Amino acid sequence: MSDLGDKSLDSKNQKVIKRASNSFFGDVSASFKRWILKFIRSPHVIAMNLLQPILFLFLFSEIFGGVVGGPMSAFLGESVDYITFLLPAIAIQVAMMTGQGSGIGLVQDIDEGLFEKVMVSPMGTTGVFLGKTLSELIRIAVQIGIILGLGILLGAEIATGIAGVFGVILIGILFSLIFVSLTTAIAMFTKDQEAMISIVTPIVFPLLFLSSAFLPLESLPSWVQTFATFNPVTYGVDAARSIVLGENVMTVIEMTSFSGIWNTIIPAILVLLAFAFILGGFAVFAIQRGTSSEVK
Amino acid sequence: MKDIGNQNSSREGEKDLEHSIEAQNIDLTYSDGTEAVKDISLTVPKGEFFGFLGPNGAGKTTFIKILVTLMNPTKGNLCVNGFDLEENPQAIRESIGYMGQETRIDEDLTAWENIRFFCEAYGVPKEKWETRIEDLLELVGLSDVADKTAGDFSGGMKKRLDAAMTLVHEPPLIFLDEPTTGLDPKSRKKLWEYFQRINDRGRTIFLTTQYLEEADQLCDRVAVIQNGEIITEGSPTDLKDEVGGRVLEIKIDGEKGSIEKAESLIRDTCEFDDDATLKANEEGITIGSRNVLEIGTDVLLKLRDSGFDIKEFDIHEPTLDDVFMAITGERASDGEEIAEKGIKSGLEG
Repeated sequence: MSDLGDKSLDSKNQKVIKRASNSFFGDVSASFKRWILKFIRSPHVIAMNLLQPILFLFLFSEIFGGVVGGPMSAFLGESVDYITFLLPAIAIQVAMMTGQGSGIGLVQDIDEGLFEKVMVSPMGTTGVFLGKTLSELIRIAVQIGIILGLGILLGAEIATGIAGVFGVILIGILFSLIFVSLTTAIAMFTKDQEAMISIVTPIVFPLLFLSSAFLPLESLPSWVQTFATFNPVTYGVDAARSIVLGENVMTVIEMTSFSGIWNTIIPAILVLLAFAFILGGFAVFAIQRGTSSEVK
Repeated sequence: MKDIGNQNSSREGEKDLEHSIEAQNIDLTYSDGTEAVKDISLTVPKGEFFGFLGPNGAGKTTFIKILVTLMNPTKGNLCVNGFDLEENPQAIRESIGYMGQETRIDEDLTAWENIRFFCEAYGVPKEKWETRIEDLLELVGLSDVADKTAGDFSGGMKKRLDAAMTLVHEPPLIFLDEPTTGLDPKSRKKLWEYFQRINDRGRTIFLTTQYLEEADQLCDRVAVIQNGEIITEGSPTDLKDEVGGRVLEIKIDGEKGSIEKAESLIRDTCEFDDDATLKANEEGITIGSRNVLEIGTDVLLKLRDSGFDIKEFDIHEPTLDDVFMAITGERASDGEEIAEKGIKSGLEG
């Protein structure tokens, strides 16, 4: 009925100890496929990740759209629809929400999922986490794509066209690495869903509001401007916004060495990369610490 | 920590192996000072169905987590499948299967996809996946629900899927940590059948359980563990012999004095076989004897005629509790002394 008892295992006199022979690529691929399947199987998670950004997009543009027109045109020098101004911030918000989901998914997996089984398997930690992260980057790309489409339907204009859409998605992916790393690290330290959520939730909103996300920084109190200078959200939003508006919008770093939007994008990418490296390193440390078989 | 990206570094060729597990003086003390495992040494020959029997909190799960490389012992030497834990934990991971106490499956995936994940994770050659998955699903009786989402399965089906997932790489040694806890008797029996089948194919199985009945059904040999220490080792039959046969439990209404009186009445007037045990506890009397069926009626009649008020009686196969009672004079579960004087009076002659 089965070949489970194949030649190497047929008798109690077996001489060869049978060992698995996985590869790094196999680890990445197995983990990637598993998390992508989980993503496809849970449309409610996509809906939940998108619900808040969609509400923000709709409500903010309806409620504040008329009011902020004045100050915005003062800074941007021309009249831009608020929804166009807002859309890149919402794209970054989506990246944040999904990054948050990364950590939550991980604690769930530790609590009630396959995590322990994976740790007992010969799979390498690097491959496991790389595969999972890759699946999340695809998730983020799809979700930002959805939100950009919705924004365009609601009247936003992307000055740089279809190339701009991909540009915003790439910025979103880079930005999300910061959040994926942060929540992964917290997940590995706490290994507890509630602790995880209660640590991350209070971080998201202040970071979002104390940045250039919803209003031009110049119109905000000076302490907010100072905070925003050190807030990765500002750089993610500015980079995405410069692509959407087709203009150099960054005010926290004045750069003139490049032309047009690159004066925003290049410094922003450098800052985001620096954040990603630092928090990524922190995540790697947390993963190593959390998966080493030491006495608790 | 795990051997990042270095899985294939140490692949010794052939090994002549007699013992699947060789553990010497294993100690594990948690950082809060709890000594979960105290100086455990044991050897499990290849092909054996070995049982690790003990009550809740005895240290079974901690010990199994050491064996599967999830935890490092504070002290001691461990060889699993001939690989030293310190030198080559990766080789241990490559050559064992582990089914934890809590069911671990991915509930978003189908049964098929769950097993496929581990086929890839354990590097099973791609062309073998399909037959391997089909065989495993058949082995655990889940072929007809292969494409159903595992989250919708019953507890027993989830456990069986979990078991199948531990077998994708055909490991020569399998660890099962209380695999039947929380299952109904029917699912439990079914699972036993699968484990037996797996063992019959030459695989060593290390099982932890709280049930003597389970160990008796499945295991060739058993170690009994309490408070992190092995208190006895032997075949399940040996253990049952410690109790002396089947067990008759009689609950008597009355003070400790009257229960002791009842005990001496039975001891003096009834004919037991040589190995029989007779013990009094707070609630009544426990008799372990091979001829308990024949003498049971006598015992009950004598008690009634002497004016004792029998609340309840019950004849059953010996349980882990009975074994503990026979060996240590304590109940397995709470470790409390039975009666103040610790009545351990087996029958003389």
